[in-house]
Amino acid sequence: MRWKENDIKQYLPEKEYIDTLLIPLIPFDPASDQMMGKQAFQKEINQIFTSLIEKEYRGRIFLAPEYYYISGAAETEVSRVNSWINQFKKQPFMHVFLFTFDAKWKKHEDELTGKLLWVPAIQSGNIQSTETQSFVKEQAGQISELIQAYW
Amino acid sequence: MSDKKRVSRRQFLNYTLTGVGGFMAAGMLAPMVRFAIDPVLQTKEGGEMHSVASVDEITNEPTRVEWTIDQVDGWYESEVQKTAWVYRNEKDEIVALSPICTHLGCTVDWASNEEYPNQFYCPCHGGRYTKDGVNVKGTPPTAPLPVYEHKVEEGMLYLGEAQSRKGA
Repeated sequence: MRWKENDIKQYLPEKEYIDTLLIPLIPFDPASDQMMGKQAFQKEINQIFTSLIEKEYRGRIFLAPEYYYISGAAETEVSRVNSWINQFKKQPFMHVFLFTFDAKWKKHEDELTGKLLWVPAIQSGNIQSTETQSFVKEQAGQISELIQAYW
Repeated sequence: MSDKKRVSRRQFLNYTLTGVGGFMAAGMLAPMVRFAIDPVLQTKEGGEMHSVASVDEITNEPTRVEWTIDQVDGWYESEVQKTAWVYRNEKDEIVALSPICTHLGCTVDWASNEEYPNQFYCPCHGGRYTKDGVNVKGTPPTAPLPVYEHKVEEGMLYLGEAQSRKGA
């Protein structure tokens, strides 16, 4: 399920079945010329990743709106992420996963109230290339297995 | 010179009026007829068939085939990946099932659960379907997996729209 009108209509009567929340954490910093390209690429990869997972498991996983933040400020973001999770937990979500390529979250993992899925990112490359596609598909498959282990 | 073949003024006016009248009537009727038969002429969105696999690759074991279609979604056009489970049944007919679970839309897998080696299994809530795609009673889904319309041409399998079926 996604944050879309039609999906929400389907979600509301069946919410007991959709017990897993996936929040993509996406950093960006428009002040830095050299970071912008890389971050934009990683945002795209992140979206492809989470859409793949959502598509396969849409009956059980809810894909939250993306959580954007200025990069490098993970420590000050912890409480904001947690407040998102708190609000979502007012719905019957049993498992909350945070999906990110930003390694800075790893240090603050214990303070987060959701489970951090940190995946080392592809630094850059052609998003259309078959290597990137098969790599992302492969990894998405493994991430879904990890999520299933919690069910 | 035969006078009989001459067209009188009255006849001439008659012919002209009938001609012009008929033309106008046709002009008015054509759109009405077009509206009436419109549903028949309408091409179904994504109604065309797509070649997905070579027929001799299809065995008794369901295999996953993938293809992409261009989908127009109101505002934007996008490429959508479609998947089907394809196999031959006992009567040697080709069956193409949609992998979308009829419960809440997860993707089902063939024989992915060790306890049910001859069934389609949905990883989300344990929904199960027998090989012909009929839902197993007592599991969450309430309808069988939709079946793709298919045709075989020059040794290739073409798939069209998935047709949903009535619940078991």
